[in-house]
Amino acid sequence: MDSRLLFLLILLPLAGGVINACFGCRLPRPLVALLAIGAIVGSFGVALVCLPLAAEGTRVTLFTWLAGAGLKADIGLLFDPLAATMVLMVTGVASLIHVYAAGYMEHEDDQARFFALLNLFVCAMLCIILADNLLLLFLGWEGVGVCSYGLIGFWYAKSENALAGRKAFIVTRIGDLFFTVALLWLFSLLGTVNIAEINLRATELNPALLTPLVLLLLGGACGKSAQLPLMTWLPDAMAGPTPVSALIHAATMVTAGVYLLCRLFPLVSLSPVGMAVIASVGALTALYAASCAVAQREIKRVLAYSTMSQIGYMFLAVGVGSVAAAIDHLLVHAFFKALLFMGAGALIHLAGGENDIFKMGGLKRKNPLLFWLFLVGILCLAGAPLTGGFFSKDAILLAAFSHGNGFSACLWGIGVFTAGLTSFYSFRLLYLVFFGEYRGEKAGHKLSPLLVWTLPPLALFGLFGGLLNLPHFYGGHEMLSHWLGSAATAEVPPATEVGLLVLMGLFFVAGWVPAHLFYRNFKGEADTPWRRFLLQGWRFDALYELIILRPYRFTARFCFIAGDKGLIDGVVEGLGRTMLHWGGYFRQLATGQVSFYLQGFAWGLLLMLGWLLLQAAV
Amino acid sequence: MIVPFQHLLVLASILFFLGLMSVLVRRNLIMILIGVEIMLNAAGLVLVGGSALWHQLDGQVLVIFLMALTSAEVSISLAMVVYLNRRKQTVDVRAFDELRG
Repeated sequence: MDSRLLFLLILLPLAGGVINACFGCRLPRPLVALLAIGAIVGSFGVALVCLPLAAEGTRVTLFTWLAGAGLKADIGLLFDPLAATMVLMVTGVASLIHVYAAGYMEHEDDQARFFALLNLFVCAMLCIILADNLLLLFLGWEGVGVCSYGLIGFWYAKSENALAGRKAFIVTRIGDLFFTVALLWLFSLLGTVNIAEINLRATELNPALLTPLVLLLLGGACGKSAQLPLMTWLPDAMAGPTPVSALIHAATMVTAGVYLLCRLFPLVSLSPVGMAVIASVGALTALYAASCAVAQREIKRVLAYSTMSQIGYMFLAVGVGSVAAAIDHLLVHAFFKALLFMGAGALIHLAGGENDIFKMGGLKRKNPLLFWLFLVGILCLAGAPLTGGFFSKDAILLAAFSHGNGFSACLWGIGVFTAGLTSFYSFRLLYLVFFGEYRGEKAGHKLSPLLVWTLPPLALFGLFGGLLNLPHFYGGHEMLSHWLGSAATAEVPPATEVGLLVLMGLFFVAGWVPAHLFYRNFKGEADTPWRRFLLQGWRFDALYELIILRPYRFTARFCFIAGDKGLIDGVVEGLGRTMLHWGGYFRQLATGQVSFYLQGFAWGLLLMLGWLLLQAAV
Repeated sequence: MIVPFQHLLVLASILFFLGLMSVLVRRNLIMILIGVEIMLNAAGLVLVGGSALWHQLDGQVLVIFLMALTSAEVSISLAMVVYLNRRKQTVDVRAFDELRG
């Protein structure tokens, strides 16, 4: 098989996007969607066909992109098990999301722009995944940022949507800055941007420099993956259409940070401090986001915070050194989160465009199938025993637990507590949306079949995703770990393992029971300050407003008034005004009277004669 | 030389000054032209005097040229005066201030 076939993976979505962008407005409506879906499904097909190439790790170069001054960056792909896993997941989930989007956006204008951006989004994500050097990866990294900006602000006519897009773009850009510095620094230290080479030669690096390097990389990953402290953009990113949210949260964008750390894991793992920071950032974000999700009222915001929380788990997994657990959770999460988001989109349609879960309720009777599918997603998210989410989360917590020192035990504790919270808010969402009486005023829309029938495959994958990396304990073979070639999950005594499992089960129930008690028959919630604090995401937006935006605005205004208006305008306009003033005086000399001019001559003559006389006298 | 050179210079200066005053002070274009003529003649007088003092013919030759030049100048100037008069029906120099800034 020609390994250059791999380029089709990226080129198909690119072509779809470009064609839709250039000619989409002239194509008939169904064709635009079909083209976009075809491009992604084609890419998925290519990924399936090329899967055998991944086992050995194929490198293929199309041409040299940049060369000179010691820098050599190819348009080259690295298709190894890690990349192959991600590519299959991204193209697979994105295919379903595209089909769903065709149904969801049926009656919207601007389909060409939407589908072009959607295709380019996937293309940029594949570029991140497949790049064999950091520069090409960075290209995809920025591409994802641009496309997310365009998609989050898709309904730009409403200014808060446009603002949300801008916020996502700018906040992730702060992370990108760290990544850029790390990239350039790595190049100056090692003289190469090739990922495989960097990983191979990471041990040559000065250990003192490793920690800042890893922290810079973490900064980049935090921006894209919405981890503390760069997480404020994600809840606002809900402004985009639901398929976009599904794509951002499940397949692309937020997983890019986790993937970056996994890709450079040989480098990252050399710095114990860096690893500890990654793990703590992950654990703290997981806790933070879960606590916020408890109080949210908008269905998509609950899911957004849950994404942030689950990505936190993935960071925790990377931080405690288990790439396989991180990727496993990433995959399973992608399936059930896409399921939940797409389900949420369908629910919003059912409730007549209502976002507020307090005004939903009783939707189970309206569409039972949707209820069962959503239930699967909720169970996976909550980590109900034997679902995919349970196994992947368990593997992460096990990896943290098996480290055995106080620090990771602390992180483990946070993780377990967060699992309980997750269970609570998941069931809160479920009960509020599906049970009780319908509390909304709006009449529901009819659902397009595309909105429901794209969900079952995701539900299946979410439910049975645990089989991918089933630990030996359950008679599995940890297929994913072997496939990725990473260290197997640490072995702990069976008694401990059973104890941990029971504990996880207990926390699941501990989350479920209060949710059942409070929200099974929902009568309304008191608006306490504490709840409002959580609803506003711990008021981080206000904090950033206070410590960053306000000083920034103040500085900007100062520069404008003192620097621009005062200094620059003062000098330029002042110079002109002085000239004008003096010119007015000189102007009076030009009377146009001949005798006046001649008088000038005469005085000049007198002056010259006087001067000559003076010279003669001396 | 029968007339002392200093006397001649004083006379020429007075003539020149009178001409200059006429140019600067008079409003009538023709009077200004006359003033210019007087100034030119003052210069001519100095040239002739100098020529006589140093026994050099150059000065007198120059004065011949000066006379030719003056007659040409006067004819052009008067033609212009006629033209200007036709434009504004006046020879008052104050009427011609188009160069005013």
